[in-house]
Amino acid sequence: MDTGIRLALTLAQIGAVMVAVLLTVALLTLLERKVLGWMQDRMGPMEVGPYGILQPVADGLKLFFKEDIIPAGANKFMFSMAPILSLVPALIGFAVIPFGPDWTIDVGGVNFKPFVITDINIGVLYILAFASIGAYGIILGGWSSNSKYSLLGGLRSAAQLISYELNVGLSIVGVLLLSSSLSLVTITNAQAGGFWNWYFFAWGSFPQAIAFMVFMISSIAETNRTPFDLPEAESELVAGFFTEYSGMRFAFFFLAEYGNMILVSCVATVLFFGGWHAPLEVLQGPEWMHGITGIIWFAIKVASFLFLFFWIRATLPRLRYDQLMRFGWKVLLPIALGNIVLTSIFAYIFP
Amino acid sequence: MNLKEWIKTLIFYEILLGMKATLAHLLHYKPITLQYPHEKKPLPSNYRGMLALLRYDDETEKCVGCDLCEAACPSRVIRVVSAEVPGEPTKRYSKEYYMDMTRCLFCGLCVDACPVDALGMTQEYEWAVYDKRQLQLNKQQLLAIGDRNFPVREKRLEFQHPNVAYFNVGFKEIPQKEA
Repeated sequence: MDTGIRLALTLAQIGAVMVAVLLTVALLTLLERKVLGWMQDRMGPMEVGPYGILQPVADGLKLFFKEDIIPAGANKFMFSMAPILSLVPALIGFAVIPFGPDWTIDVGGVNFKPFVITDINIGVLYILAFASIGAYGIILGGWSSNSKYSLLGGLRSAAQLISYELNVGLSIVGVLLLSSSLSLVTITNAQAGGFWNWYFFAWGSFPQAIAFMVFMISSIAETNRTPFDLPEAESELVAGFFTEYSGMRFAFFFLAEYGNMILVSCVATVLFFGGWHAPLEVLQGPEWMHGITGIIWFAIKVASFLFLFFWIRATLPRLRYDQLMRFGWKVLLPIALGNIVLTSIFAYIFP
Repeated sequence: MNLKEWIKTLIFYEILLGMKATLAHLLHYKPITLQYPHEKKPLPSNYRGMLALLRYDDETEKCVGCDLCEAACPSRVIRVVSAEVPGEPTKRYSKEYYMDMTRCLFCGLCVDACPVDALGMTQEYEWAVYDKRQLQLNKQQLLAIGDRNFPVREKRLEFQHPNVAYFNVGFKEIPQKEA
């Protein structure tokens, strides 16, 4: 009985989060084109619905009905597995992110936390681990397409991913030092109060602004976004490891990319910007409203980071591959390590 | 590097400048897009669009079947079969007039060549068809295009200047007949 209730509640939570994420991904495909268009003195898609709102529907239908081609000589199993291997880690990371306050509701004898699907105490490690598995999907996708351009694109992307994963991990260590916990719920709760408590500003400890910058740049590289999108750029390497994919498989890679983007924005808000907390106590509303306002503030922050992703895409040209690798290893890695050293010194002197 | 350049590198100064420029374009949003099917580009008055055969104001065709347009066309688009107007032995007309618009360049040499100004160029450019045969126009279709694009028609040449048949001469002022 208990198990049944808990199972039903968890499934409902997962369903809600997945629906929200997938809808956001669909919306993002449209929003990216619109925002990029507005920044480039043009309108984005305007034809399909009023102001182009139904464009994701049209895109989804098109990809759904496209012919599913598997190249001759491709490894069929790997070819089909690769998009799934890319998509699942992107979506699975949402299981540990707290969207609202840390309430515990008692439903029929079952303790139930409505705003986080599961509060495991190694949340950060879980997310990093699944991001690494996402790299598998790309390598396999590139290799199993039986095309030299895809292979090269896949290898380059994989090398880029593992280099920048290191930086992501190291930039997070500063936050972990300040909060002494890997659980995202604990980290969020430690940033309660006003915006000066957010780890980005970290009043009373070493501000993690530098770590945030490293994290942001590395996560742009992790998700293969411009300016680090050489492996998947349309004009270089003929779209890289995407080349041989069409129809629904291509849609999965796309979903994986945008899902990763949302995941990374959510992780950035939780780790550096206080998660669901409002900038000032008073803006959070009365105690009973914390649930709703928590989700609203979380959404506002995630939306700002997604806008930052689009903004950077509209501004910067692409980095060449060797520039990219040099930047990751020679610039960001020392900065991240330096941040860890400084944070620990600060934390030691002012505990 | 001196201090200023160091600081600029550390805070990504040039990148932030670029981002400010893109944000400025977003906030002062002036799109330069012409949304085609809903807004069309204004065309100059001498735009060379689809060809048309013209009429006089008493509904008779201007074309006299002289084949000068057929001779002038660089792509050999026009095919004219001319004949005498039955019942009026001094007048001729084009019995059959075919234009193969799939070969036409829209250069306007035929319009320049016509001595009676029977050909005109309209401002229609939306002539995409699914079947190429619909672009082989005959006289009826060309006259129809002319009817819908040229509502103002000339008088017949005989009635323009009494006693004198001028062809394609550009006088600003027609000398009147002395009383």
